[in-house]
Amino acid sequence: MSAVLITGGGGVGKTTLSAGLALAAANRGITTLVMTIDPAKRLASALGLDVLGSDPTPLADNLWGAMLDATRSWNDIARRYAPPDVGPRLTANPFFEAATQHFPASQSFAAAEEMTVHIESGQWDVILVDTPPAAGGIEFFTSPARMRSLLGGRLLKWLTGGSLPGRRLVYHFTARPALRIADAALGSELLEAVAEFLIDLRAAYDGIAKRSREIEHHLAAAHKVVVTTADPAPLSEATKFFELENGTPDLVVFNRVLPESWYHATTAAPAPFGDNLVRWGTEAHRQAEARRRFSARWHVEPATIPWLPQTPSDLEKLEQMIDSAAGLDLDRLFS
Amino acid sequence: MLDKRLLIITGKGGVGKSAVTAALALRAAYDGKRVLAIAMTDDAGLAVHLGIEQLRYRPTHIISGLEAVAIERPEALNEYLRVQLGVPRLAQLGPLARAFDAVASTAPGIREVITIGKVLYETRKGTWDLVVADGPPTGQIGSHLRAPATVARLVGAGKVLDQTGWMARLLRDTTTTGLIVVTTAEELPVTETLESLVAVDEENLVGIENVIVNRTLDPLDGDIDQLGDGPAKQAALLHSALFDEQERWIAHLPDGPRVPYFFGLHTPSEVAARMADLWGML
Repeated sequence: MSAVLITGGGGVGKTTLSAGLALAAANRGITTLVMTIDPAKRLASALGLDVLGSDPTPLADNLWGAMLDATRSWNDIARRYAPPDVGPRLTANPFFEAATQHFPASQSFAAAEEMTVHIESGQWDVILVDTPPAAGGIEFFTSPARMRSLLGGRLLKWLTGGSLPGRRLVYHFTARPALRIADAALGSELLEAVAEFLIDLRAAYDGIAKRSREIEHHLAAAHKVVVTTADPAPLSEATKFFELENGTPDLVVFNRVLPESWYHATTAAPAPFGDNLVRWGTEAHRQAEARRRFSARWHVEPATIPWLPQTPSDLEKLEQMIDSAAGLDLDRLFS
Repeated sequence: MLDKRLLIITGKGGVGKSAVTAALALRAAYDGKRVLAIAMTDDAGLAVHLGIEQLRYRPTHIISGLEAVAIERPEALNEYLRVQLGVPRLAQLGPLARAFDAVASTAPGIREVITIGKVLYETRKGTWDLVVADGPPTGQIGSHLRAPATVARLVGAGKVLDQTGWMARLLRDTTTTGLIVVTTAEELPVTETLESLVAVDEENLVGIENVIVNRTLDPLDGDIDQLGDGPAKQAALLHSALFDEQERWIAHLPDGPRVPYFFGLHTPSEVAARMADLWGML
């Protein structure tokens, strides 16, 4: 069993690569699940994903897909890990949806939980996870710890009053001077509703904290693939993974790569094609330099995927994309 | 575009939203305006495009006429409580800020109202001729723009409610405020752009100033078939295929400014400077 996390900044082609790698695994006879977030329409229909729910759906031989639904996942988290009397009250709270969306790394934590559930099911040989785009995917790895520090943190303790508080605290909520001002700013109805919610949330802490450590364990054991282009923003996102404990990538993939040979080409071509080659050659050279700097700094040999004019729109084109990649060691990735 | 008092820039991640923000701010400053650039949710992009390491809550001087800030908590929260809610003494801010923070992490719209509130407050106070805000990505722009209304529904009473009216009005005032959506001519960014245009329009949250298409290619005239095999032909084929694909997506968008693909530029600040020069020629 191997979990493969596809991470990287926005717009670099993570979802497409996840789909391509999943297909490559399935074609090798490996039972594969690909979990994705928000695929482009053409890619989604290529994979048959437009009818996809959050439960695994068969897409091709050996290949299943599942869409991540953060709201549903948080409902599941509350149901699974909060005390039985608290869970339903939490999910029924009018603040539940907005609050879970506001949690730091909320979507990432929900995705990591879904991944862990699928790993534990034992149904799959390979699980590929297209990680949420927030903060270049780095949040995915920090989300379990951040969730613990939110729920067990000083803020929640301070607000709900030291050790696990009784519910009557709510009715004395504005007894303290600071909260009286908050009351004037926000109105007591809102404050009471929020306090009630937070008290229930704290009661769920032990269960969620224990679970978050299991999730962390699976994240540490997973293969990590970082996708980037040679542009500064995605490169700086990619750099963050090397600075993260337990986050060091097993593989870096440069997408939208131009042949550097274009820069050195000397063939004279008629206008406007000569000038066109010069500008694309300049761009190819810039890309190659950025790639060399990155490789030297982090001691990696990146895989490269050529710049395709169109996002692959069917299974055949996805296969072609993976075939056209250089330096992609699939055996290692799926082992 | 630059005759507005507030421009909020949004777009899908990776399309060049921060580059456009920086370029517009630089251009307006070159033209002699007093300009404030604000990073609303993520400050790294705007900082590098303005050629500095990091933005702070206190204004950083960029060039003559241009200052830049990032909206950081808890500073933004403290200022909101002090200036907008009129909380009297700084000593009381600590615990209040914590209570507020808990509510803001729980109730919808409160955190967003503090962020957009800072942008609107800077616009209203009259220190600047133009405020240019590097806004949240298209996925979150709606929740920010409708935050005053969300909070007004949620908060039955209190000073926060009193603040929401002028915010929504200033956002909707098309002589003052405009939204700029940046996109590239690709499927996902264009789809997200169109979705955000519909949402903003239906709910009448803010006037749309422009849709800017970034990294566009020009047509390559000439007969590619006459070229022999080799790099020149490969580059020509890639260029025309990319151009055709771009045209296909541009056809879905309203007319607006196009920013060309800048070949071979190394740093974000080079990109922003080149773009600012370009605005000058428009």
